[in-house]
Amino acid sequence: MCYGARMPRAYSVLCGVVGTAFVLLGAVFFGISLTALAPGASSPLRFPLGPNGFYFVAFTGTALVAWGGCLLGTARRGGGRSIGTATALGLVLAAFYRMSAWLMGDIAWAGELPRLEAGLFLVLALGFVWLRPPRRATGVA
Amino acid sequence: MGRMLATVLIAGLLILDVMLPATPLGRRGTDPAPRVEVEGAVGTVGQAMPDFTLPDLDGQPVRLSDFRGKRVILTFERSLDW
Repeated sequence: MCYGARMPRAYSVLCGVVGTAFVLLGAVFFGISLTALAPGASSPLRFPLGPNGFYFVAFTGTALVAWGGCLLGTARRGGGRSIGTATALGLVLAAFYRMSAWLMGDIAWAGELPRLEAGLFLVLALGFVWLRPPRRATGVA
Repeated sequence: MGRMLATVLIAGLLILDVMLPATPLGRRGTDPAPRVEVEGAVGTVGQAMPDFTLPDLDGQPVRLSDFRGKRVILTFERSLDW
């Protein structure tokens, strides 16, 4: 497939949108986990999580902020094939976990949400795979 | 080549996601469906337990009075019947 003239712009937009979403979501995850540490605090979530769950959600939040920051940097500078590849892989893994968890019935209270999220992640992964610049355009893998 | 391979794999997962069965195969987790409210079943120490009916693991109703004269132990635990 030819890497068209509009592809870099579309790739930057995709990186910017997903990066912004990741940073915001990560900040929310981290904030909720930090709030839950306060003495006497009750969980603002509608499902049971517990201190161990918040421990991992806080780490997820920090990782999402860092991941989103990398995507936003790519959106500003343009190019950056590797972040697209890594993001596509991460989205595929996240989608696979959601599909498996949904199949097991572990989060049945969420209804169809895990399947919809998995579909969205896979579509975004396809976008990153197809819009990322080719190797010869960036000079990096 | 790598792009096509990745596309095929992701598209395959996407098709699998759409074709997943309408209901989860497993029943473990936080599904609130099995919750059963038993009105009036509040016992008092030293007195006979009020009669009530609950479904067993196969969904068949079981009455407490069916075990009258026998020792009965009630346990409530999370099922892992996956």
